[in-house]
Amino acid sequence: MAGSRAARIAVLVAEQAARRGAPVGVVDVCTAAVEALPVGGAGISAMSPTVAGYPLCSTDSISEQVEELQLTLGEGPCVDAFAGGAAVWTVDLRSDAAQTRWPVFAPAAVEAGAGAVFAFPLQIGAISPGVLDLYSHVPLLLGAQELDEAMAFADFATLLLLNTRAAEREGIAAGSETELGGYRAEIDQATGMLTVQIGVGIEEAFIRLRAHAYARGRRLSDVAADVVNRRLRFPPDVDPDATVPEVVGDEP
Amino acid sequence: MDEQLLAKTFVELADNLVADFDLIDFLRLLTDRCVGVLGVSAAGVLLADLNGELRVMAASSEQARLLELFQLQNDEGPCLECYRTGTAVTVPDLAAEARRWPQFVAQAQLRGFTAVQALPMRLRDEVVGALNLFSSSPGLFAPAAVPIGQALADVATISLLQQRSTQVSTLLNEQLQTALNSRVLIEQAKGKLAERLDIDMEQAFTALRGYARAHQRRLSDVALAFVNGTEPLTDLAR
Repeated sequence: MAGSRAARIAVLVAEQAARRGAPVGVVDVCTAAVEALPVGGAGISAMSPTVAGYPLCSTDSISEQVEELQLTLGEGPCVDAFAGGAAVWTVDLRSDAAQTRWPVFAPAAVEAGAGAVFAFPLQIGAISPGVLDLYSHVPLLLGAQELDEAMAFADFATLLLLNTRAAEREGIAAGSETELGGYRAEIDQATGMLTVQIGVGIEEAFIRLRAHAYARGRRLSDVAADVVNRRLRFPPDVDPDATVPEVVGDEP
Repeated sequence: MDEQLLAKTFVELADNLVADFDLIDFLRLLTDRCVGVLGVSAAGVLLADLNGELRVMAASSEQARLLELFQLQNDEGPCLECYRTGTAVTVPDLAAEARRWPQFVAQAQLRGFTAVQALPMRLRDEVVGALNLFSSSPGLFAPAAVPIGQALADVATISLLQQRSTQVSTLLNEQLQTALNSRVLIEQAKGKLAERLDIDMEQAFTALRGYARAHQRRLSDVALAFVNGTEPLTDLAR
């Protein structure tokens, strides 16, 4: 049934946040994933093609080390998943294949206590704000259903991360709400259109679209349809270097 | 059915499944050939996402009005039924099914369609999506054409497994996710180009695909570079 998995995951994540007594955050996606899947821990790192990545959260000290090792060494499943825009995993970090592919990371991760690592890029088309890493103490092969579940957690984390940024813009408490009404191509088209209208990158365009919807209490898909049908335009950002100061003249 | 055209089409499709082919570009070719070979008015390939929701991967036209009709079938319609049951659904006379699928039939008729067919995309035990065919002339879906339509649906399924893979291990589910995300990327690129050139979504898609083909690049690579701004494609004009 449409939305059932996403709806179920939203509940699992909200439960983790409630247990923590805090608003829903990406760390709750990690703890929920660890409860739902046969893995030892999870972590999410923020990634960008231009700026160095940094860890956002992790569920234990091993996953924290798995994140930090990859970001420091610049190699590992997380790095490859981000670069390739596709999930990367190794069922056994001690295997020759893993040791050859990640000669520094693989032994270091084993030393830290990880036996297998699964990395899922957080992405919506060209928007790619980070990677979800899962690790297991022992070699592990995730089944097809478990992989689907892990990818759905990554999808949820992606929306949560972007929605949180949009909510912060509007001074709204970050909620766990994601639109469960199903996929709408208009949202992606509108996001692409806004990169030109506003003059910003694709991730920022998505955040602006989302923030606009939050600020007016409208559905994201409705705002997107207005943009695509050219009923709504976003003004261009003023270049900060070109702004005219508000106060001009020779005031003392 | 023109047998020569049919043979030529399958050879062409096989020829396009080269090492570095682009999935979305390939599926567009396939839907275009469905229109030519099967004599239908429109065709679309839909894949199920992680929520079991069908999403358009490619269509013989990127016009919003057509894409909406495919998407509408997440609520009701032959595509949804085909996906759930895993069997072909043929509706030679849409008007007769107005009670079964009131919304879908009304919208399809509004767009001038009178007959529809949905063929399952099966992989081993799993149904991963459907090939959806629309016709403007009633009674077109002759029983003899069903196996050919199904063969085209099977080619679409095979292409999913042939995508370039960067993984240590690769599973179908992961391939499907990559495919769905590449479609999202195309939508973002369409939006950006449509806005810049003040053109519609079909024109934007055609321009991007034409550019990729002319430069022997994968459509997804061009779309990603364009959306990220690393390749502004300033020479792309209307």
